[in-house]
Amino acid sequence: MKFLCVPCDTPMKLQTVVPPDRGSLSVVYSCPECGYEMAMLTNAYETQVVQSLGVRIGPATDAATASGGKCPFPGMIPSSDGTTEQRAGEPMAVRWTAAAEARLTNIPEFVRPMAKIGIEKFAKDRGAVEVDEKILDEAKEFFGM
Amino acid sequence: MKGYHDIVGDGGSRILEQVAEKQTRIAGGLAGVRHLVAVGSGKGGVGKSTLTLHLAGALRARGLRIAILDADFNGPSQARMAGVQDAVFVPGSHKLALPRTVDGISVFSMGSLIPESKALEFESAAPGDSHTWRATKEFALLGDILASTEWGTLDVLLFDLPPGADRTVQYADFLGPRTSFVLVTIPSEVSRGVVARSVAALSNGPNRVLGYVENMSGYYCRDCNAIKPLFDAPESSTLEIPCLGTVPFDPELARHCDLGIPFSELPDTPVRRALDRVTGKLLETLS
Repeated sequence: MKFLCVPCDTPMKLQTVVPPDRGSLSVVYSCPECGYEMAMLTNAYETQVVQSLGVRIGPATDAATASGGKCPFPGMIPSSDGTTEQRAGEPMAVRWTAAAEARLTNIPEFVRPMAKIGIEKFAKDRGAVEVDEKILDEAKEFFGM
Repeated sequence: MKGYHDIVGDGGSRILEQVAEKQTRIAGGLAGVRHLVAVGSGKGGVGKSTLTLHLAGALRARGLRIAILDADFNGPSQARMAGVQDAVFVPGSHKLALPRTVDGISVFSMGSLIPESKALEFESAAPGDSHTWRATKEFALLGDILASTEWGTLDVLLFDLPPGADRTVQYADFLGPRTSFVLVTIPSEVSRGVVARSVAALSNGPNRVLGYVENMSGYYCRDCNAIKPLFDAPESSTLEIPCLGTVPFDPELARHCDLGIPFSELPDTPVRRALDRVTGKLLETLS
């Protein structure tokens, strides 16, 4: 979908994506010539159809959005990102090093929770309290991959 | 006033670009795969998954590097049959490393991720209206799997497709012209009719249809060591594609599948020999 400022005959630019509300996204565009702003308000069907394509919406220059940090969809449609849930005051049984955690992001989001559980069990079975890249390589070898 | 095609880009949402980027990642990930072969039918219950697994086993027994992608996300069966139901998925250095069968066949199946007591569900902004978006979501998921998996160097990647002539064509569209199709039928006029529709639908696209396999072509009686009739249907099929072979039904084979026993442990029976012949014909057709 593209938006055109008719008086200026100029393509409008995406400015911001307002956090979703009950399945609706508010996507603000502005005209670079006259500065006129307009918002596209999606219904739940439209939101879901775009989300189903597996794409992210947001200004291309917004680094946080590009990395998923401010992507409106994960906020609206909770997805398991593999992050270990930790209750207040309850220590995590197995820690993940930053490098191992980064490697986890190489695999599809929907696989991460199961992968994390399996790898933590593998680590615990070996008496490890931390999952690092060495543990990941050992697991890969162990499971014949 | 400018029209849609006069404007370069989409103002910043980059949706088309993101879809194109994913297609590039998929193509890159599959660059080391020599043959992409989808096993479909159109008809359900004809033994697509069983045949896929046994073809994979027979190909592997010939020393080829094989992987299976169980594309039936809503009714995955490869995990159980291949013995990787409890497999652990491990992130490799860049992508997802796949579990392997004891025969060395890499397998991706939703059955390794979702217990059989649960259905595949997606979070949605439009709950109760999944008919408007679910197929799109499932293909996006397939794209994620293809793009995010370490396929490495393979001789054949087999896709185990879900039933439905329409779905078969959707997979052909999504997987692109590199993917060839093997269609599975049973010796019943109803099944052959549905498969004929799949053949007709695929004939409108660029994908190559390698041929069909007639599964459950009689049953193997171990007591008599003979193949006996199973269906009362005309012996010759009217399908206008090559026949890659016929495979009799074998209750022992079904038991192997339920228990995840690999192809290499199949005894030398007429059924195993039939599978070997189909495999030989498949390779001959691919080359």
